[in-house]
Amino acid sequence: MRDQGKFFDFLEVIRRAESGEMMKEADYDKKLGRRALALMKQYKIRFDPQSVVPADDGLADRVYQAAVDLFLDLGVYCTDTQRVIRFTKEELDWALENAPREVRYGREEETVSVYPRKVEDQREPACFFSAVGTPVTEEMFLPIARSYAQEPLADTFSGPLVTSYKGILVTSGSPVEVEAAIWNTKMLREAAKQAGRPHIGIHNFQSTGEKTDATIASAQEVFGAFPGDGLLVAAIAEMKVDFERLKKVAFLRQSPYVLGALYGPLMGGYAGGPEGTAMALVAHHFLGLLVFSAERHNSFPIHIHYVCNTARDMLWLISAVGQALARNTDLIIASNAFMASGPCTEMIVDELCAHSIVSAVSGWHLNPSAVAKNRHPMRCSGMEPRIHAEVGHAVARLGLTRGEANRMVLKMVEGYEKRLPEAPVGKTFDECYQLDKLRPTDEYEGLLAKKKKEWKSIGLEVR
Amino acid sequence: MNLFKEMAKAVIDGDEERTVSLAKEALSKGVNPSEAIEKGFGEGMREVGRLFETLDIYLPDVIISAEAMTMGVEVFRQYLLGQEGELSQKTVLLGTIEGDVHDIGKNIVKIMLESNGFKVFDLGRDVPVLDYIQKVKELNPDIVAVSALMTTTMVHMPKLIDALREEGLRGKVKVMVGGAPVLPEWAKQIGADGYGESAMEAVRVAKSLAGLQAEGKGDGR
Repeated sequence: MRDQGKFFDFLEVIRRAESGEMMKEADYDKKLGRRALALMKQYKIRFDPQSVVPADDGLADRVYQAAVDLFLDLGVYCTDTQRVIRFTKEELDWALENAPREVRYGREEETVSVYPRKVEDQREPACFFSAVGTPVTEEMFLPIARSYAQEPLADTFSGPLVTSYKGILVTSGSPVEVEAAIWNTKMLREAAKQAGRPHIGIHNFQSTGEKTDATIASAQEVFGAFPGDGLLVAAIAEMKVDFERLKKVAFLRQSPYVLGALYGPLMGGYAGGPEGTAMALVAHHFLGLLVFSAERHNSFPIHIHYVCNTARDMLWLISAVGQALARNTDLIIASNAFMASGPCTEMIVDELCAHSIVSAVSGWHLNPSAVAKNRHPMRCSGMEPRIHAEVGHAVARLGLTRGEANRMVLKMVEGYEKRLPEAPVGKTFDECYQLDKLRPTDEYEGLLAKKKKEWKSIGLEVR
Repeated sequence: MNLFKEMAKAVIDGDEERTVSLAKEALSKGVNPSEAIEKGFGEGMREVGRLFETLDIYLPDVIISAEAMTMGVEVFRQYLLGQEGELSQKTVLLGTIEGDVHDIGKNIVKIMLESNGFKVFDLGRDVPVLDYIQKVKELNPDIVAVSALMTTTMVHMPKLIDALREEGLRGKVKVMVGGAPVLPEWAKQIGADGYGESAMEAVRVAKSLAGLQAEGKGDGR
């Protein structure tokens, strides 16, 4: 159970949301862009396309310091009150000093402790297997969720979402959303049972229900959500919150569930390019810690046009942010893989590998994976996180350095980056899995085996 | 460098003072305001859009350019008001659908539409279907443009189209949709008139739907 005394006073956050400086949202957005650009120059932060995994501790520390300046100057915008929630340096330092050094997921034999990682850490990353809310049919929800839960490297799992329930479209804010949300939680626990892992932690037991009432309605042991499971609360890009999210926090911080925060800044958006977005992503972690009372943090920075995070500039951003946080804080951070291509393609195997290497060597835990730009229905399976996790474990086991990682990743990125705008959407779950055995098709497993041979030739031996 | 090229450059540079002074210069030379906006400022903003598509520049730069263009256009607007005239503009009613608070994409589309000569009525985020209907009746726009970032909010889109039909408005306004989870197949399935995957594509589609010149790809069916 969380120690409330170790988190910034949540009611004080609400007071500040209702009494802070009033500002037009458009002015806040513009201020972010201006400050990020100024700080980029002040701290001499530059993206180097040949150094997607920068081995420069000074750069990581400058990204961190710039993010501290950005956060303290900008504050967090509350869209409901149109006010800015600001914090002092002392409050930020206190919150970082008191941030949890461990979170536990799961129960009994499936209990997993997750600790902060460091740059080039040789301890294996925790692997949160996730379908990242990919839309699927009601009939396929259970087998797809099970394909994640049954994977041996899955420390926890989460599920896709259903777009219709009992023939009715699941609409945000409707009673059907509550019905579907409860069903969603039940099905995830059922998937865990069918996978032979009834006590495995579900790090986000609600994907179908978006509204707070639907989320809370599904948070019951009788539906399968147990202490040791969790939920993720997402900030609004960039650096914004609203009362809908804060209501989830009000519930979760007093619940037995692990409260994770979710950040998805858009590279190319209000914060500018990779440098400004890197600062904004670090600053989002301060938002999560102070405003959401988050116990752990999950990031999915996205390329504004390609809707993935495997482009060269995105990988640099992920590495720089991971290193900045791992070197300067003890926050528990996870890197969420967003792939441009879809299942059972050569491209996705390379994308997953590149993203995993960058994340694992830069201090992140792993949260794979959204695929096919997270928008094509039925395109997700347990195989994608398996690939990501196997690579991440190999990176730790081999004790890969940032320099070695950079050499490997550059080779992969050069192979796929031109195809990012029009990436292949790949195969649907029932096309890339044998449904009777619930395992990947020979074609998909063969694809991975072929890639493992290629990787071995460049020094990456993945078991 | 001729006047139109200078106007385009001032927009690309995001130079507000220059767009204002060039607009005044155009008026003093008797240049038609609509032509100056289209061939001068508009060309500059189209170049800004192209640079944004390749990420040679980022959203803050686009906003600065758009604001510079707005200042310049305002000079022409004030002039026309004095002449008891007005700029002829196609209109778009824009919003993020009910339940959805994600609006960066919608805001980029707004900037690009305005920069390409459209008058945009921005209803903001989390806009209920009934609000769209009321505003369509009140403002009589050429196009209703709707975005969604979530699968569970996207499903409000067909409700809007149904409501327009029930109110007898469907034949009077074109509907275009977009947003991360929205696919062209979905747009077709719900009976939308157009779909744009990116902001620039949204502009091309809007031009096509509004009977203006359309270029490149884009799904203005």
